Amino acid sequence: MHALDFDYMLGLVPILLGYLPLTLEMAAAGMACALILACLLAVIRVTRLPGLNAFALLFISFFRGTPLLVQLFLFYYGLPQVLTFLVAINGITATILGLTLHFSAYMAESIRAAIVGIDRSQTEAALSIGMTRAQLMRRIVLPQATRVATPTLMNYFIDMIKSTSLAFTLGVTELMGATQKEAAGSFLYFEAFLVVAVIYWIVVEALSWVQKWLEQRLNRAYQR
Amino acid sequence: MTTRSIAMASLRQATLALALGLTASLGATLAQADTLRVGMSGGYYPFTYVERDELKGFEVDLMNAIGEITGDDVEFVTASFSGLAGMLDSNRIDTIANQITITPERRKKYLFSQPYVYDGAQVVVRKGNDAIHGVEDLKGKTVAVNLGSNYEQLLNELPYADDIDIKTYDSNIEQDVALGRADAFVMDRVSATQVIKDKPLPLQLAGQPFSRIENAYPFRDDEAGKAMKSRIDDALAKLRDNGKLSDISEKWFGSDITQP
Repeated sequence: MHALDFDYMLGLVPILLGYLPLTLEMAAAGMACALILACLLAVIRVTRLPGLNAFALLFISFFRGTPLLVQLFLFYYGLPQVLTFLVAINGITATILGLTLHFSAYMAESIRAAIVGIDRSQTEAALSIGMTRAQLMRRIVLPQATRVATPTLMNYFIDMIKSTSLAFTLGVTELMGATQKEAAGSFLYFEAFLVVAVIYWIVVEALSWVQKWLEQRLNRAYQR
Repeated sequence: MTTRSIAMASLRQATLALALGLTASLGATLAQADTLRVGMSGGYYPFTYVERDELKGFEVDLMNAIGEITGDDVEFVTASFSGLAGMLDSNRIDTIANQITITPERRKKYLFSQPYVYDGAQVVVRKGNDAIHGVEDLKGKTVAVNLGSNYEQLLNELPYADDIDIKTYDSNIEQDVALGRADAFVMDRVSATQVIKDKPLPLQLAGQPFSRIENAYPFRDDEAGKAMKSRIDDALAKLRDNGKLSDISEKWFGSDITQP
């Protein structure tokens, strides 16, 4: 056993923090795209749009049923062998794409559950006073469904931040990639991975605070 | 380009790709004449490694010296070792500078430059392990190798290969042997010696190198690959003649590993 090299760890912090923006940007971009796609999928599933519903089912089944790493390799290394112009997709884009497709499949199901969970009597009441389907969704169902779905969606976002660590396998030096390379140069594995673990932890902890604040805000209408 | 603008450009590209339903933008990258995209793992001390955010090592120095002669801009791309071949195949990099050993199988697929490192395969064990004296003692043992490396194949070609438990890793084989999870690892003699000398891991060489290996730059087997190979071969020959190749080797290893 050797003593922890604190100087090395301290020196590593600013270096690794330099890669944090890329990690967060990939996660944020992935989350934004995934939310849009997931909402579309959820609405298709709830309304059972003919034709599209079968597609949505297949999409969700595939992207939930295969590991993210497999999907990333498929897009980045596999597809360009078949469709050569896809070489234009770089590692960062492929990661964002993979995160989007993978997580939208999960998120679509939790958004669908949140929509379906709104009591049917509300739908009937809204329709009985002459609201259109679109108005019903916008004014009655979605605001309530948002509140129900928020905690789960935040969970997926946290998971997504951590999943960006797979990007190094596609040649993207993000937070984890930078750490692996530093560790491979210094052979101080414990120090390097401890530093990066704490960085991820702090980021996720900060997000948990945002989640708490968001949930309280969305709960205001229910407080007496 | 800064990291931020790369990410933003990628975001735009991702949105576009999504919007077009994965058809993405056209304009596949053609092999540029003046930018040489060189793939490496960044995790193979002292050939290619990172220290304080700076990419260093024998491979980096040599490739920069080659770029100075050919006039190419050298752009290093780091990715995990097992992903490098895929990046070369899919035209994301032009060659790999990561001690790629010439093997008959690889020769079928890639063009190789002249060898620039002559080395041997070495068995390395945890310090104090005196039960293993070389490759012949690996029977019944657990041996770590890097995924996609030629050492995995070297072990598989041994007559008693079935009795060796070969574990493949994406990185950090040195650490698993130091921890005692694997009995030995196999890699090239040069970097094994260097790791033991410079780094705090409890490891020792076991016996003599057991197979001669020649390392070179692989290229895609097409017109652009051929052109690049001949450019780099010319540069390597010049560096050999003016002694610079030996100098770079002396700097990193204290010996000349570039002579046959």
